[in-house]
This record gives sequence, structure tokens and C-alpha cells, in this order.
Amino acid sequence: MDVLSHLATGFGAALSPTNLMMAALGSLLGTLVGVLPGLGPTAAIAILFPLTTVLPPAPAIIMLAGIYYGAMYGGSTTAILLNIPGEVASVPTCLDGYPMAQQGRGGVALGISAIGSFFAGTMGVVALTFFAPFLADQALRFGPPEYFGLMVLAFTVIASLSGGSLVRGFAMAFLGYFISLIGLGPSTAEPRFTFNWGPLMGGVDLIALIVGLYAISEVFIGLEEARVAITQKIRNVFPRLADLREAFPAILRGTGIGFLLGLLPGCAPGVTVFMAYDVEKKLSKHPERFGKGAIEGVAAPESANNATSSAGFIPLLALGIPASAPLAVLLGGLLVYGLQPGPLLFQKNPEFVWTVIASLYVGNVILLILNLPLIGMWVWLTRIPYGILGPVILLLAFIGAYSVRNSMFDVGVSFVCGAIGFFLRRHKWPLAPLLLAFILGPLLEKYLIQSLSMSGGSPLIFLQRGISLALIVGAALLLLTSLALVRYTSRRVKEETAEELEL
Amino acid sequence: MGGMLVLLGILSLWEGWRLHALRTQMVAGAVVGDDTFPFIVGAALLLLGASILFVAKPPQVKVARPSGEPRMRMILGAGVLAAYWVIVPYLGYTGSTALVSTGLFRAMGGYRWPLALLLGGATTGLLYLLFRVWLLQPLPTGLLGL
Repeated sequence: MDVLSHLATGFGAALSPTNLMMAALGSLLGTLVGVLPGLGPTAAIAILFPLTTVLPPAPAIIMLAGIYYGAMYGGSTTAILLNIPGEVASVPTCLDGYPMAQQGRGGVALGISAIGSFFAGTMGVVALTFFAPFLADQALRFGPPEYFGLMVLAFTVIASLSGGSLVRGFAMAFLGYFISLIGLGPSTAEPRFTFNWGPLMGGVDLIALIVGLYAISEVFIGLEEARVAITQKIRNVFPRLADLREAFPAILRGTGIGFLLGLLPGCAPGVTVFMAYDVEKKLSKHPERFGKGAIEGVAAPESANNATSSAGFIPLLALGIPASAPLAVLLGGLLVYGLQPGPLLFQKNPEFVWTVIASLYVGNVILLILNLPLIGMWVWLTRIPYGILGPVILLLAFIGAYSVRNSMFDVGVSFVCGAIGFFLRRHKWPLAPLLLAFILGPLLEKYLIQSLSMSGGSPLIFLQRGISLALIVGAALLLLTSLALVRYTSRRVKEETAEELEL
Repeated sequence: MGGMLVLLGILSLWEGWRLHALRTQMVAGAVVGDDTFPFIVGAALLLLGASILFVAKPPQVKVARPSGEPRMRMILGAGVLAAYWVIVPYLGYTGSTALVSTGLFRAMGGYRWPLALLLGGATTGLLYLLFRVWLLQPLPTGLLGL
């Protein structure tokens, strides 16, 4: 009952004109960027981040969540109509979505994708509503060693974000930790890695890093690649009753798989979509239809994708652990507003949390009712030349990097990070572990120092306390599970696209 | 990349050592401090860098160097962007954005000067309305206060 009353309060705030407008604007802008070939949710959030930095926390996070959902929907559009997945999570959608488009059923594929995403997204948010507060309540008993265990658990996410090479993933993660050390030390406020240079005393700004790594590098990568536009005309996006009847069991199964696996901190949507697709193919009476335009082949992975993304909000909000790169960027957004996701967020900022949760319901509805009728406009937008989009993205990146601290130094940092991001992406070094470690680094350090101070320097403290021991053992088990899942996904991506995995 | 990680690892260990010496002077009896994490990160970077260099070399990725027109657009785009950072403190946000957006449309889009000017002017105007007028975002004003 308590949850429901909180949720009702959240809906009261989420349905205010400003928040409603931000949810709608976020969904529209996210779809707009997501629909551009090759741009996925992470790049979409990074590019549009600047627009939110001038807003108060709740509307800003609502808009970012809308951008996230919208970009995922947009990614499905290019996967279905152009056979171009923005991120690995859209690869299985291409397998049957594109053949459907070639058969003139692209509109139906888009419709099923939207309905499946809506259903799975909403189910995920229902679970978030009831499960996240419970999890946060349990985590209230945590002390520094337990939080350290939690940060170690978060570290396992790196395995699933490592792009198939664990060494590369860990190397990037420790590079992220290294960058997070720049600035004043937390214990004595002694400058670290600043070389007595004033601007470095404040450390590297998170938004400057995100904008550089994901937005600026994206523009230059885009300049290199030949972009394509959707030329087909989409007529009917509303599936027939027979299509719905055929797709509904796949939507249910995809939702279940996506949600349950999505609860594991090391399980990104890139993993669950392939699982959902393969399960659907195995259960089908006509597996030979898969890869040739089976509607279940679109419904299952799309539902799994959205269910995993929604489930990812549970460890994000309740424990402060992001399960994927876009959620790491969202976590960054929360931190910029001085909001530390985790159990205390539910205690200290209940209004904020419940407004955001309620807005996720609203965002899902907005996406469904706005995007299906607007599909013609999204298709048209892909025809905007990159010579116009690229400069606009760079100009937005400038404002984004500048606006957090009103600092030209941060703008310079974002340009440098753009160059580094360009180099790393071209050489297939995964960026997500770097970002995750950069965000979690200061927390990991804080809890490590506090725990070791409590124990007089003995690391045995992490093994002597039940919860922290359980978390560390859990982290080891999750790491092994993640490795197995990544290996499976890596193999499947190679089978389907003959390309290396880039989760 | 392995060599770079080794260098950063050494730098981190060196900084940890400096901070350790400071901590032992400043805080008597403290067993951990600002030096602890740099030591851990430094050691990990060193190990990972060495392993990439000598043991577990990640598979080589063939990367085609950009050439021709895309390369020119990338170089010019990066150059205009660097110039942006230099001129903003002098010309202010609005003046430099008008110049730079025109330059970016010309360099990255390959549009003729009149069209690039038009696009640059329109973009600057829209960004001005959005960020300065509507969102009241403080932006650099430059020497002329624009």
C-alpha cells in the first residue's frame, strides 16, 4: 500500500505539464537520434545530454529516461528498415525484421516492435515499482564493507561490456579508475595527478567525458562511414489480429527472459535479446521461418530488449549499479544533480524517485501513441544529410561540456576525450567499462578506505561480514556467468553478422 | 596501447608513492589514505599493460585509415573545433558559434559558402533562442560582451 501511495504521488508529479512535456520531448528527441543509422541509445543520451543540464533534476532525468526509451525504439526502426543495428541489442531484430521489410511488411514489423516494447517496458516498470524499494530496504543495513562488496559486484558488469575481450575490458576499466583519481584526494584533499595545474584540481567532469567519448567521437566516426537513408514508404504500422495472435506468446516469453536475466547486474540487453531469439526459434513449430521474416523473430528480441532495459533500472536505482552503457550515462546524469543512486536515494529523495518511476510508465505510453503515427516523419528524418547533423551535434556537445561548470577547460577536456574516444572506438577498445569505472571509481575508493580504516588495514574485513562476503562471492559467480553469456553472445553475433561483438 | 597502460601504471605508482610519503608525515598512524587507490590502480594498469604487450595480446584489429574526402572533412572539422575553443573567450559564444558553425557546415558538409553561411546563421539563431533566451543558460560573453 505504501508503494502504491508513493506511486500515486509520483504520478501526480509526473503528469504535471512540465514533466509530461519533458517525457514527450525526451521520447521524441531520443527517437529522432536513435533512428539515425548507426546511432544507438548511448550515443543518443550523450548527444542530447546538454539539453537537460539546464533543467531541474526531476524533469532532466525524466527527459533522459525518455531519450533512452526513444532511442531504443529508433534503433529498432533502422534495424528493421535498413538492416543496420545501432547497438548489438538490435542485431536479432535485423534477422527477421529486415526480411519482413523486404516483403513489404516493414510497417507491421515496426508495429509489433512498438507493441512488444511497450508491453515489456511496462511489465519491467511494474516490477521496478515493487522490487526496487524492497531491494533498497535490504541495502539500508549496509556499512562501508558491504558497499565495497556492492562496488565489486558492479565491477562484474565490465565482463558483459567488454566487447568480447576481457583483457581489453579490464584495461579500459582501470583507465577509467585512473582518470577518476585526477583531482583532490578524498581523505586529505591533497592534489593527485594535477601536476600543480589549477584546472585539474576539480578533476575531470563526467559530462565532458561522456560528451567527448560518445558524442564528439560519434560525429567523426560518422564522417568516415557512408550513411544511408530509408527510402521505403511505410504505409500500415498497425498489425492485424492474426499477427498479434502469432506474436503475443513471443512477446510474453521475450519479456520474461529479458526481465529475469536483466536483474543480474552483469547482463546487458545485448545478451538477453539473443537468448530470447534462440528460445523462440527452438520452441517454434516452424523454425525454418526464422531469418526469413518470422514475426516472432521481431517480437521476442524487441520485448527482451525493453524488459532488460527496464529491469536495469532496479539495480541502478536501488543499488547504484548500471547494467549497460546507456544506464551508466543515466547514472552519470543522476550524479551531476547530486543524487547518488542506491538505498539512500529512496529515503532521502522519495519524491524524485517515485516521479521518475511514474514517468517511466508515462514515457512508455507516450512512445506508443506518438511514435507509431509518426513513423513517416522518422523515416523522412533519416534523409537529413550528415553534413548538417554532424555540425549540430558538435555545437550541442560544446554547450553540454560547458554548461555543468561554466568552464572552457571542460570544453577542452571534451574535445580531447573526443579524440581519445575516436581512436579507441576505431581500434575496438570498449568505452563502456571506462565510463562505468570512472563513475564508480570514487565510490569504490571511498568504501575501500573507510572499510580498511575500520579494520586497521586488514582486508579480511570483507570476508568476515556476512553480507559483504556474500556480495563478493556473488560477484565471482556473476563474473563467471557473465563470461559464459558473453561468449555465447559473441558466438551468435559472429554467426549472424560475421563481425566482432561490441556490446 | 599496452605501452601506454604501462606508462600510466608507472605514473600512478609514482603518485601513490609521493602521496604515501605525505600521508605518513601528515596523519600519524593512518593505515590507508589517498595513496591506497593509486597504488592499486597503478599495479593493475602495469599488469594489464604488460600482459597486453607480452602475454595475452588481444586480437589485432585491422583499421583502414580514412582517406580522400572523408579524411579531409575530418581534419578540417577537427581544426575548426580546435579554433572554436581558442576564439570563444575573445569573441564570446554567439559570435564564435556563428563563425564556427559556418566553418563546420563548409568543412564537414562540403556546402558552398552562401549556403554554409545561411545554415550557420540559422543554427546560431536557434541555439541562441533555445539556450540563452529560453533556458537562460550562462554562456561565455567574450571581450565585446556578446
